[in-house]
Amino acid sequence: MRQTVNTNDLFENLRLELRRGCLVVAVLAQLREEHYGYALRKALADRGMAIDENTLYPLLRRLEVQGLLTSEWREEEKRNKRFYRLSPDGRLILKRLLEEWQNMNESLTKIVEDETVAAVLEV
Amino acid sequence: MELLKRYLNAVGFWLPKEQREDILAELGENLRSRIDDQEAVLGHPLDENGVAVILLQRGHPMLVAGGFLPQRSLIGPALFPAYQFILKLVILWILIPVFILVVGPATILSGRNPSLALLSTAWTLVMAAVFAFGVITLIFAALEKYPHESMLRFDPRRLPPAPPARAANAPQPVPRFTPIVEMLAGIVVSLCWIDVLWLRTSFNIHGVEIALAPVWRTFFWVVLLVTFSGVPIGLMGWLRPWWGRARSFARLSVNGVTLVLIGALVNMGPWVTVTAQHLPAASLAEANHWTNVGISIGLAAMSLITLVDGIQEVLRLVRRRPSSSATSLAVRR
Repeated sequence: MRQTVNTNDLFENLRLELRRGCLVVAVLAQLREEHYGYALRKALADRGMAIDENTLYPLLRRLEVQGLLTSEWREEEKRNKRFYRLSPDGRLILKRLLEEWQNMNESLTKIVEDETVAAVLEV
Repeated sequence: MELLKRYLNAVGFWLPKEQREDILAELGENLRSRIDDQEAVLGHPLDENGVAVILLQRGHPMLVAGGFLPQRSLIGPALFPAYQFILKLVILWILIPVFILVVGPATILSGRNPSLALLSTAWTLVMAAVFAFGVITLIFAALEKYPHESMLRFDPRRLPPAPPARAANAPQPVPRFTPIVEMLAGIVVSLCWIDVLWLRTSFNIHGVEIALAPVWRTFFWVVLLVTFSGVPIGLMGWLRPWWGRARSFARLSVNGVTLVLIGALVNMGPWVTVTAQHLPAASLAEANHWTNVGISIGLAAMSLITLVDGIQEVLRLVRRRPSSSATSLAVRR
């Protein structure tokens, strides 16, 4: 059964799906250095990984509940801000996730560079 | 910053009490940082409209609050197919046919105004469907919240048999809806027949008595057999939709019996006697004549329908003849 789907919508859905897992890795990696929410969002956007606020802020809280991040309220520029940082557990998980990502990347590269697939991509 | 306070207050309404203060403090701070950034770019403080643009970009307070809450669903993706199936089964395949074939006719025949009876049936159907929807949803929501491992336990050896392989040009198996209608119609018509001829053999309509002739009682069991045949044939179509040939043979047999029955009945008229105290003899004779003419036309129409149905079944039977390609496909699998 074939559904009629707008290719742009389909691509956007698949792109978001592809990005979803990478966002966690990007956030964990960026938080090796301490940031508060808004500054983290800007830092990620500057490196080409723009994240919607409705995704990022709840994600930070979830990662903290899971023990991958630690946070503390601190005054900066006369205002109280919540700073997040990678926890020791988060560091271990990030290392493993990055290894997994490297493996997947290598596998994908092999698949994409396969002659048959390359021919399809050229079409 | 009045607008920001109002926004945070609106977000806070949707947050759980124990996390509200913490989430709002962080959300407020992030929004203030964003406003500061914007002000630095513009070189002047933001007015109410400028703040409103930022808050609009941030999103509806309810959605923003929802993002901080754990993802919850009344019925999750694991149970949803079963939920959808039961809902369809109860509402589309049971409630609606029962209302169309049983409740509707019974309400209309109860002697009320037909339009009012129709409206009342439709309204009762809507209420019944809403009630069924609510009950089924509640049951599945409870199963979602308190799952039991037995729900997903299965033994591959006890799964129902798969339908046999079908050749590309072979006809479709019996549609799922047809056997249900067939069964319900069989039950309803049989019950009506028992009511008409077993429990009473005459009808009084506004002082006019219509009595069935004894010929009907002679054929009582044969007619009951024909009307009730829809139940086993429908059941077979429901449980084994791919038994198309067996179904065609069964229906052809019933068609044959029906034609013989109608043939016998046609030669045994008059089929009803009309009597009425208040009608003059001439009118009564005319009423008797035309009622029986109506029945003879009905019998002729029924024989024609049966014949057409029989021809269709023969054509289906020819199309369903097992072909060599289907056999080889089955063997390969």
